[in-house]
Parts: sequence; C-alpha cells; structure tokens
Amino acid sequence: MPGPDRLMSMNARARSCFRIMASALAAFMLIFSMPVAARADAVDEILARFATDRFPDTEKAIGDLAASGHPTAPVILEALAGNRLLFSPGTRQTYIGVEGASALDAKTGAKAGDVEIDSLKKVRLNNAVRAALQAAQGALGLMSPDPVKRRMAAEAVLKARDPAQRAGVEAALAAEKDPKIREVFTEARAALIALDPEAADAQKLEAIDAIRGRGDRESVSLLSAISGANKDRVKAAADDARAAILARQALWSHVQNIWYGMSLGSVLLLAAIGLAITFGVMGVINMAHGEMVMIGAYTTFVVQEVIRARYPGLLDYSLLFAVPLAFLFTGGVGVVVERTIIRFLYGRPLETLLATFGLSLILQQAVRTMFGANNREVSAPAFMSGSFEFGGLAITSGRMWIIVFAIVVFALLQLLLKATPFGLRMRAVTQNRRMASAMGIDTNRVDALAFGLGSGIAGVAGVALSQIDNVSPNLGQSYIIDSFMVVVFGGVGNLWGTLVAALTLGVANKFLEPFAGAVLGKIALLVFIILFIQKRPRGLFALKGRAVEA
Amino acid sequence: MFTAGNRFLDARGIVFLVVLIGAAIVVPALALLPKNAALHMPTYLVALFGKYLCFALLALALDLVWGYCGVLSLGHGAFFALGGYAMGMYLMRQIGSRGVYANPNLPDFMVFLNWKELPWTWWGFSAFSYAMLMVLLIPGLLAFCFGWFAFRSRVTGVYLSIITQAMTYALLLAFFRNDMGFGGNNGLTDFKDILGFNVQADATRAVLFSISAIMLALAYLMARGIVVSKFGKVLIAIRDAESRTRFIGYRVENYKLLVFVVSAMMAGVAGALYVPQVGIINPGEFSPANSIEAVIWVAVGGRGTLVGAALGAVVVNFAKTWFTGALPEFWLFALGLIFILVTLFLPKGILGACGEWMGKWRKPSAPRGNGEPAIAE
Amino acid sequence: MTPTESAPALTSSLLYLDGVCVSFDGYKALRGLSLTLAPGEMRAIIGPNGAGKTTMMDIITGKTKPDEGEVLFAGSTDLTKLDEVAIAELGIGRKFQKPTVFESHTVEDNLLLALKAPRSTWATLFGKPVADQRARIERILETTRLQDFRLKRAADLSHGQKQWLEIGMLLAQDPKLLLVDEPVAGMTDAETAQTAILLREIAKDHSVVVVEHDMTFVRDLGVKVTVLHEGAVLAEGPLDVVSADPRVIEVYLGR
Ligand SMILES: Nc1ncnc2c1ncn2[C@@H]1O[C@H](COP(=O)(O)OP(=O)(O)O)[C@@H](O)[C@H]1O
Ligand SMILES: [Mg+2]
Repeated sequence: MPGPDRLMSMNARARSCFRIMASALAAFMLIFSMPVAARADAVDEILARFATDRFPDTEKAIGDLAASGHPTAPVILEALAGNRLLFSPGTRQTYIGVEGASALDAKTGAKAGDVEIDSLKKVRLNNAVRAALQAAQGALGLMSPDPVKRRMAAEAVLKARDPAQRAGVEAALAAEKDPKIREVFTEARAALIALDPEAADAQKLEAIDAIRGRGDRESVSLLSAISGANKDRVKAAADDARAAILARQALWSHVQNIWYGMSLGSVLLLAAIGLAITFGVMGVINMAHGEMVMIGAYTTFVVQEVIRARYPGLLDYSLLFAVPLAFLFTGGVGVVVERTIIRFLYGRPLETLLATFGLSLILQQAVRTMFGANNREVSAPAFMSGSFEFGGLAITSGRMWIIVFAIVVFALLQLLLKATPFGLRMRAVTQNRRMASAMGIDTNRVDALAFGLGSGIAGVAGVALSQIDNVSPNLGQSYIIDSFMVVVFGGVGNLWGTLVAALTLGVANKFLEPFAGAVLGKIALLVFIILFIQKRPRGLFALKGRAVEA
Repeated sequence: MFTAGNRFLDARGIVFLVVLIGAAIVVPALALLPKNAALHMPTYLVALFGKYLCFALLALALDLVWGYCGVLSLGHGAFFALGGYAMGMYLMRQIGSRGVYANPNLPDFMVFLNWKELPWTWWGFSAFSYAMLMVLLIPGLLAFCFGWFAFRSRVTGVYLSIITQAMTYALLLAFFRNDMGFGGNNGLTDFKDILGFNVQADATRAVLFSISAIMLALAYLMARGIVVSKFGKVLIAIRDAESRTRFIGYRVENYKLLVFVVSAMMAGVAGALYVPQVGIINPGEFSPANSIEAVIWVAVGGRGTLVGAALGAVVVNFAKTWFTGALPEFWLFALGLIFILVTLFLPKGILGACGEWMGKWRKPSAPRGNGEPAIAE
Repeated sequence: MTPTESAPALTSSLLYLDGVCVSFDGYKALRGLSLTLAPGEMRAIIGPNGAGKTTMMDIITGKTKPDEGEVLFAGSTDLTKLDEVAIAELGIGRKFQKPTVFESHTVEDNLLLALKAPRSTWATLFGKPVADQRARIERILETTRLQDFRLKRAADLSHGQKQWLEIGMLLAQDPKLLLVDEPVAGMTDAETAQTAILLREIAKDHSVVVVEHDMTFVRDLGVKVTVLHEGAVLAEGPLDVVSADPRVIEVYLGR
C-alpha cells in the first residue's frame, strides 16, 4: 500500500506532466480541468455525495469526481475500489482509510487527526457502482504519466466499451507518443466507434480493421458484440474479422502446442539421454538413473546455497557452476557404482536391473536422510525467469533455455562419441569387447568412464530439471519410466533415435492432452509404446544384425 | 521317472506342505484361544501372517514365469491388484446401505461423486461366485492379451520387463482417476462382511488365514505339477536357449503365454486373499516399485525353486515388519542392500545356497548364473 | 563310392535353393546362391569364413528371410513363408555352429525334449513318456556314447560331448533333413574321426548337409562337396576334383 507521502509526490509529478503536455491537452482540459477556485466547492459537494451512501449518489459522484480533475481523485477512486473509502455519518466528511494509521482527509490527502476511525463507515459498492468506478478509473488512467498505467487504462476502456469514454480516449490518443500504447488507444477508440450507433459505416469498417489487427480473445468477443450491434456491411465485416482471428488463433494454438511439446520433449530428452548411453550403448539397465538426475538437482541446490552464503553477487550465475559440478559429482558416483556393482553383472541385464533398483532405493533414502523429505527451493536466475511473446506464442524463458540446453547437451554428446578418441574406444568396446581388448583398449576403464558419462549427463539433466520440478528425493522416480520409454521407443544404441523419440512423445503428449486430459493422454502413449514395441521390438531406429541379437 | 529331481514332491516340497498345513490348523487354533490364555495369538498377528502368505503366493506365481521360463515380469503387482480389486468390489457391494450415505445401490464414493447408477463394470459383483470368477478372469485376460502380443512378436529380456512395468504404471495412472469408477485415490475400503461373516471378526480372520495357507499349498502343487511335467522342461529349455527351443519345433509363444496366464491368475488369487485381510485396496498396489519388490522376494529365496520364492517373500516381509517397527529410517537402506547383495553374492538365493553348502540336493532345474538365453548362431 | 550314389535317384530334389540373396545393413551375405539336394543325399559344404554357410542354414531353417530367391523343400513347400517352428515340424533339424544344448537339463532330458513327439502345450503338460520313447533315448545315448552321462547336466559336459549331444538331439528329432554346422570344431582328432563315423551312420537313412572346415573330416565323409565363396557356389563335385580347381585353391585351400 503506498504511503500518503508517496501518493502526494506522485500527484505532484502528475501535475508537472500536465503542464508540459498542456498544448496537446486542449480537448481534454474541457472536461477535466476546471478553474481551481470553482473546483474547490464543487469537490466538497461531490465528496459529500459519497457520504449519503446511496448507490445512485455514489455512482454519480464517481463520474463527477473523475471529471473534476481534482488532484486526489485517483487516490479516492482507488480507495473506493479497495473498500477503503470511509465517511463519517455525523459530519458527512469523507476519509480514506489507511492500514495501521488513522484516516486521511479525502479532499486534501492530509492526515485527519481528529476523527475516531471506529466511528467511520465504509462507502458501499454494488455492480453498477463498480462499473462506473472502472470506467472512471480508466478515464483517469488514460492520462497517467506512467506508461504502464496508461496502457492498462486503455485496455480497460476496450473491455468496458463505455461510449462516454470516447472523448477521453481521443484526447489521450492525440497526446500519446509511445507507438505501442497508441496502438492500444486506437483499438480502444475503434471499439467505441464500432459500437456507436451514430457513427458512419466507413468509420466503423476502419475500426473493425483496427480491431482485427489486435487479434486476441478480447477482440473476438468485441467483434461478436459489434456484429450484434450492427447490420449489413458492418456486421459482415465484423463476422469476417472474427472468423479470421479465430482461424489465426487456432493456428497459433497448434504452434503453441508444438512449442509446449518441444518443451516437454526437451525435458524427456535430458532425462533419457544419459540412459541412452548406459542402456542403449552399453546395454546396462540402470534403474538408478532417475536418482542420478535427482543427485544432479541436489547438487544444484547445494551449489546455490553455498553461493548464496559466501558469494551472493554470483547468485545469478550459480547454474553455470552447478552444471560442471553436477556432471563431475554424479559422474563420479557413476564410476564408483560401475566399479563396485555393475561390472560384476555385465551380460546379466536382469540382475543389473535388480541391483540398480536396490541402489536407487539406497540413494533416495540417503538423500532423504541428509536433506529431509521435503522439497528444496532452487531459485531461477534472472535470465531464466519471466516470459515474452513471439508472434502469438507465449514463451517462458525458463522453458526456452531448457530446450537450448538440451540441444547443446545432445550436440556435445554426439561430438564426444563421434569425434573423440574416447568415443571411438567406447564404440569399439560396445561392438566387440574381446576384439577391442585384444587391440590394447583397457575395457575396464572404458566401461567405467562410459557409465560415468551416462550418469554425469543424468546429473546435468538434474540441474535443468531443478528449474521446473520439485527438488525432492522422489524427483528421479517420476522420470525413470518415461526415460525408458523414450530410449526403447527411439531404438537402442542410437542417440538420434532418442532425440526423435523424446520430441515425438513430448509433442504427442501435448496434442493428446486437450482431448484426453493429461492422465489419459499419458496412458494412451504408454499403451501406444507397448504396442509399438510389439511391432518393432528394437525401436524406431534399430540397429540390425548379429551384434544386437544377443 | 527320468531323474531324481523330477519326483513330483521332493523333500523340500514335503516340508513346505507340512508347514503350510500345520499353520492352517495351528494359527486359527491359537487365535481362537481365550484372550488371556498364554498362547493366544492376537488378531493383528494373524492378519500379518495372512498377508505374508498372500505375498508368498504372489512370489510363487512370479517364480513360475521368471524362475522357470525366464520371463521377468515387472508387472505382476498389477495382476495382484486386479484380483484384489475384484474382491474389493464384492466386499463393497456387501456393505449395502450400511455406508455413510446409506445408499443401498451405490458405494459411498459413487454417491459422493454424484453418480446415479452403478456403472456396468460393477454389475454382478454382489454375487460371490461372479466376483471369484473375475478374480481369475480379469488378471488372466489381461495377461492373455498382453502376452499374446508380446510373446508373438518375440519381445524378450529387459524389453519385456520394461513394457510390463509400463503396463502396471499405466494401470496405476488409470486407477487413480475417479471416473474409472474404482474409488480413485482412496480405493475401496470400510468393508463390512464377507459371505455374511464380519471381516473384522477374529474367527473370520483365522479362517481367511487358513484359506490363504491352503490356497498357497494348492498353488504350489499345481506349479510343481507344471514344472515337473515335460511342459516344465520345455519352459526351462526356453529360459536357457529360447531360439534353440524353437528350432526343435516348440511354439515358444504358446508355452510362455500359457504359463504367463496361469501365473497371472495365481497372482490374482493372492490379491483377492490379501484385500479382506488388510481391509483396503487402492491404486498404490499398482505402483511399479511393488512389482519389483516382489521380484526380489523370489531372488532372495532362490528362483526356480518355488518353495524358495515363498520363503523369500516371508523372509523379506518379516524383515520389513521388523525394520518399520524398530528402525523405520533404515528399511529402504536394508531393502536396497538386499537387492544388491543378493544379485551379487547369492544369485541362487537362500535355497540355492543352502543346497550348495550342504551338497545334498541335486538341482537339475536350478538356473545357471546367467538367466539370459544363450545365443543360437 | 558314397551310400547315396547307390540309392535310386528321385526326380525331384529334397531341398532346392535358387538365386537366394540376402543382405545385412547393405552387406550382401548371399548373392544368388543356388543348390539342390537329392533325397537321401549327404552333402559337405566348405568355404572360407564369411562365405555365407551359416547364413544359408539360417535361410533354410527360417531364422533369416531371404531378400529374393526360391527355397523349396520336398519339391513344393516354400520355406520362406514359414517360421522356425513350422519348418522344424516339416522335418528339418539343425545343429548350430556354437553348440547350444539346454544347459540346466540332464543329457537324458535334452534328448527327451528333442524326441519326435507332439509339441503342443497340452501334450507336454499331460503326456507321459512311453516305453517306446525311452527305448529310443537309450539307442541314441548308445550311438552318441553318452550312456554314462545320462544324468549329468549338459552344462557339465565337455565341448566334444556337447557337440555329440547336439547331434544326438538331431537324431532324436528324426528329421528328414539334417543341417550340421561345423560339428567337429574344437574336437580332438580321435573325436573327429568318431564324429565322421557317426555322421555316415546317420546318412544311411537321412539327408544331411554338413558344413565343415576340417579337410580330413570332409575326406572321411567321402561325399559330394559344394564350395561357397562370397555368398555363391564356386564349385561342386567330388572332393578330389574340387580341390584341384584353381579357383578353389586360390580362395580357400591355397595360400
Ligand atoms: N544376422 C546378421 N547380421 C549381420 N551380418 C550377418 C548376419 N548373419 C551373417 N552376417 C554376415 O554375413 C556374412 C556371412 O556369414 P556366415 O554365414 O556366418 O559365414 P560362414 O558361416 O560361412 O563363416 C558374414 O560377413 C557375417 O558377418
Ligand atoms: Mg559359420
């Protein structure tokens, strides 16, 4: 709640603004700026009408107060909207209630020391009063020095469609410099013209064009109203424009769905890609993969806490530190796991499955013991919060960065496998272990590093997931089945398959959701994959040949 | 008879059956002693042991497909839960108008959801015989459909495991939904009576326990009959070298399908016995972790031994009961360790290890360390 | 003189392969392989590693489907349309290059499983081995010299014994056509000689295709030889003639 001093100084600024724009304000002045002397009494009279606390009086008083141009008018209206406009039944004085303080005198905005706040009554509201209030606030806001407020006021006019505001909008439009806000003013004006029974058809058609350019949900309902209020040419034009907007919206909603799907797909990709290495390339079933993701998320949490405590200035960059640390830490865990458990189980995938499931229980419980069972807060850096619009697409920065991140991780991994000596050795070992060993490759080392790599990538995925999911000991469990589905669907031993599978499943999920609901959509996909595996037991992009027949 | 190991009942089996029949008599007797008698067994213990027996039956079913046929199902919990739901639905219908909303036709949760009539899925469940038929039929049918596709397209090994897991996961999600009509989140509970007897009563509990023991014994006899027959030998052949079995002319998919369906039905029976003894069934029973836990019971006891599977279920669940009472924090550590240690150091489970140490029993049917089929070139 | 040559020649062949091609990921393992086998004939197939011998057996037994070409059995049955089980039911048995027996079964049970008998789930679940079947198992144990190991687990047999057990399983199936892939690989000389005797015995009343590298063994068999090279037939005829062929010497025998 802004304090009284702030309110006053804001009004002071507003007044200086008024002066600067004086020449452009000529039309506006006619309505809003009365001579100061005349104003004083008029305002007293208006405020007294609030004190009768009868709805018609209040409604009328609102319009007159807005028209009076009195400096505290915005504050009074805001107080009324917030149910804080008070009056004394005895003196018929009007006050503004302030939390914790006593009341302010409505006319001057100064502290009213002598009234008992408990003796004051609230000015009541009903729907008609609220509508009047909104319109009045809109009119006042149109001239506000704050561009955000002006824009909001213009949007409010567009919504209210009150013909009385036309003059105000036109004045404001004339004064407006900011092209973005001008656009909104133009649209608001267009709405009023198109609904004005007096206006000429040509003018209305022009107005409809302006509204069509806006193209959002509000304009659809506005055009419906215009179509209802008009006949013939104008009605047809409004219907046309409405249909065009609806078509465009449908298109954008598909694009939006694809975007959401890609966003989900990138999450799936991140979660599954480490598994694609351990399961797909090495043939090791790692049921503790989800827990590696979870450990990565907790690493992010710890890194952030340390930075918050020691180097608060770097807080926005904590993810940059978390990525390599999570990779190294979970990778290290992976190497230890491979050396102590997995390596005794090569060639026995079902046993590996069981042992790693046991491991996942231990890791979950260990994290629960260390960090507690509750969710941990990982904050988003500035560049990942907020959202923006791209065409008709609403994009949250966090999601966008996760997509970018997933692509980068994927590309780096491909590079590592295809273009480095380690990748070459790894592929050699997975294709023919004995031969590779005969060629002098230390297969133990390669196994350990490959498993470490898969785990490390899971950890990196955990860093990203910490931004969109709850960091809790159960984080990993929610991803493990999806990850396996992605890898199996994409085809084992093929990272491109994993990529395509993750995106396909992500997009399919988002397209199914509107029809089937989130849960049924997911069930449908699970059933689809179960059936798909029957048809193509080796996935979308299967390797063929003897090597994989084991 | 061809080899000694093929005798219908070996020493192990006889001991197992004697213990079961003994328990079926002694436990109810102790439970029905007067409350102040020294040997009186409290009802909660009877229910607990009864629960163990149901788990043992589930483990036995799993051992039949995994231990003998090499099909590692990570979805047997689903068959168990479906059997449980079928029984739960019968018990719900028995509540009649004694529910909170006193609606004679609809279970409470349906009244709560503002439903006006009983969905078709619930028709007939007020008849015990129909419900018992469904206990067998629904898990059996699901297993048949699933296996029909999976085995025909030769989905094997971990792929099969993963899709069975997906199956139970999909069911988990489905049963959580209220509009499925099975009580959603809360599942089915607040049962009143079964065949006219109060489910809470000591005598009912005691009888349920005995029935569980007898069903386990019967299931064992049936499973044993299967594995010692030539059919059982084919199963083991499939486990050890699937494609070789095909090349000598056995329709592997039919074998797998049959044993999978039988096993699913056994799991369903286990679930049906479980529900009246614990008093509730909810979607949590479908959780994939439950199914994997059942696998570890089998591994602990010794797969491919039947008796071992049942033993493993009892041992692990006993440990669970003890831990959750004494050191609840450590149960997951312990369970995790069991998984790891058993796979690493006790691949043949308790029974296998005992057999080896004592060098007494020959085990022609014990699996090799490698449960995967050998590659036929 | 081989036993087959004295048998009356039939007009139609038992096994007929024509223009069979198959490729794996672009690699052509068979390129227009053509081969015919008369009923009752025993044929030896030799060829360098990778020539496509095992792949040929995969095609005949339905493990691999050819990309093109004809594969006919007993004159009219199109094998490319059938799966492994149906082909086995027709009476084609196979011994694999890498011995695969049912390791956790006893020798006896291995033979019992292979024994010609109804294969349906119903029959195996409720059927009991009859005396006649036991007698046959006895005979096969004798032929393969495994009487003393009948109760031993197959996993505990020596390599040579496993090879024999597999041949024994083939006999138990009593197929019309036996495909035997490298039966003497890893055997001692004595074992090899005995295997040759065993195979000649079997060939008396079965058609047999033997793939082998061991030249002494092939000589011991004393039958017509087909040389495969790069997925097609390079030469065919008695061993002496074939081994004098300069092309054969170049790709296979020589060096
Ligand atoms: N399933 C398969 N996948 C990929 N390549 C195969 C497959 N089967 C055979 N090949 C290839 O076909 C060629 C012929 O193999 P094979 O028939 O085993 O030869 P041989 O038995 O004569 O030594 C080899 O190069 C082998 O690698
Ligand atoms: Mg070969």
